[in-house]
Amino acid sequence: MSVVPKSSRGPSWWTYMRRSKTRTYIISALFILPALINFAIFRYVPILWAARASTWQYSLLGGYREWIGMEHYLRALQDPILHKSLRVTFTYVLVKMPLEMVLALALALFTNQVRKGMGTMRTIIFTPVVMSMVVVSVIWALIFNADSGLLNAFLRMIGLPKQIFLTNPKLALPSIITTAIWKDVGFSTILIVAGLKGIPGQFYEAAIVDGANRWQLFRHVTLPLLRRTLFFVVVTQTIFSFQVFIPVYSMTRGGPLDATKVIVYYIYQLGFLFQDMGYAAAVSMILLVIILIISLIQIRFLRSEVEY
Amino acid sequence: MATTTSLDLTRRPAGMSRAKRRQQIIGWIGILLAYVLIVAIFLTPLLWMIGSSLRPTREIFQFVFPLSWRTFIPVDWTLENFLDIFGLSETGRTLGFQFGRALFNTALVSTAVVTSSLVFNTMGAYFFARLDFPYKNVLLMFVLGTFFVPQQATIVPLYIVVRELNLANTYWALILPWYASPFVIFVLSQFFAEIPKELDEAAIIDGASLLQVLRHVIVPNGKVGLLTVSLLEFQFIWNLFYWPLIAVGQKELQVIQVAVATQITQREIAWGRIFAGSVVASMPVIILFLLLQRYFIQGVALSGLKG
Repeated sequence: MSVVPKSSRGPSWWTYMRRSKTRTYIISALFILPALINFAIFRYVPILWAARASTWQYSLLGGYREWIGMEHYLRALQDPILHKSLRVTFTYVLVKMPLEMVLALALALFTNQVRKGMGTMRTIIFTPVVMSMVVVSVIWALIFNADSGLLNAFLRMIGLPKQIFLTNPKLALPSIITTAIWKDVGFSTILIVAGLKGIPGQFYEAAIVDGANRWQLFRHVTLPLLRRTLFFVVVTQTIFSFQVFIPVYSMTRGGPLDATKVIVYYIYQLGFLFQDMGYAAAVSMILLVIILIISLIQIRFLRSEVEY
Repeated sequence: MATTTSLDLTRRPAGMSRAKRRQQIIGWIGILLAYVLIVAIFLTPLLWMIGSSLRPTREIFQFVFPLSWRTFIPVDWTLENFLDIFGLSETGRTLGFQFGRALFNTALVSTAVVTSSLVFNTMGAYFFARLDFPYKNVLLMFVLGTFFVPQQATIVPLYIVVRELNLANTYWALILPWYASPFVIFVLSQFFAEIPKELDEAAIIDGASLLQVLRHVIVPNGKVGLLTVSLLEFQFIWNLFYWPLIAVGQKELQVIQVAVATQITQREIAWGRIFAGSVVASMPVIILFLLLQRYFIQGVALSGLKG
């Protein structure tokens, strides 16, 4: 920031005329200080604290008992439940993200048409987004219920055999993924619709003049111009998806046979059910690093792809 | 929806060939099918929830098979489920349901967070949109850096901090961590940046202080942005679950989402009450969304476009 105010800088020059520079800075700082304090205490300090707690034998009841250095991290390397939990989490993200993106893209292209009723369709698709994940999970747990669930009623109607969804190790995770996509797809759809609206009409007109068909329009106009939006949606949704917790908590409690024990649920169990806060903090740190690395890779990818 | 599409059918451009006409009709049928599919997939769970909350539990089980309109529309309408969960009936009191209390807590916490967020985030957004400050970019990085701190992953560490501050098991634990939001500051400063700078300059020449500029120029001109972020913030806090679940232990401070997930589902076989609880926990935000959806959607879209 330059000290000498430029004339184009708006109000500042007048402020400088009337008051001393320092005084203006102090007043300005007061505007941002409360927010900065919040972010320091409630967003950054927890990470430092977790880093510290992860090197201690620490529980909520017993407090800091003994400094054990990297022992929790060594334990993490050999913890089969953690490894299973990481596998479950990655499966969840790698299945959910592509499905959600394809669905969101289809829904966005469909509802972006100028036609009666499309606005209503967008509202309907977006409604689950404003609902709480708790309510969505609770309702879907009942939909998936083996004896009186809506889905089994539907399966019976079309003549398929009854399924046990949430207590079957093969079907529990797909059920949770379905629930999460149902809730989240509207969010991605709205972002993509906003991206579609940002594409200037001339591009389509020019392509139509050149004789492009609908697929070619999509492939060579829509998709390249939508890239930035799509990458943004993928990055943010991936970060969120890695932290899935609520549907697991309220639908399966991590079961059956740990088939849905995603990593945030495992951390919750360690810290609050098994009273092993130190190890829970270590696993939190590991998750933090994983998410950070993945978002950095995605952002790098995004940059290189966009600036061609 | 069906009626609006059939209206389109009557608008037939003159001189259209038969094949083209047939293609068009097939197109309309396809769109109609897509409408039906979207409504079925996204609205059925909601209709089932609302319908079932208004009928006795045995009736829910009775009409699941075979699937028909009876599955969704109550035969024997009743408010019993709602009376139960609010502890207004004999059964409700015996089972110790306190949804009224939970609803009050949620409303209190949401209001407090939205209010404080309006104050502190507005100030923060004004700072980034308008004020001069040394190393302002570094401060911006500090704020935006929190986007990379995954919230659920740091809930346990956050709990450790809040506990050390002796805030656990108080209303403060539910309010203080959220009184400022990097996301809101970011979106709001985008809104503020679009207000013409000449307005500030004029006010300052008239002798207004920075605070007065904020109050009399920025806030009145940034109402749409303020409404948008308030709605998003309200929805965010209202729907919060994981943090309140661990931050407060006693039932008196429990919020509605935790009440739904713990008071009911863990031991409840009476589905009527589960549905009633879900309705209570989700309808306020859904109604708010239906009334003001333009702002909701604008807020979400903005976060993506400018991100």
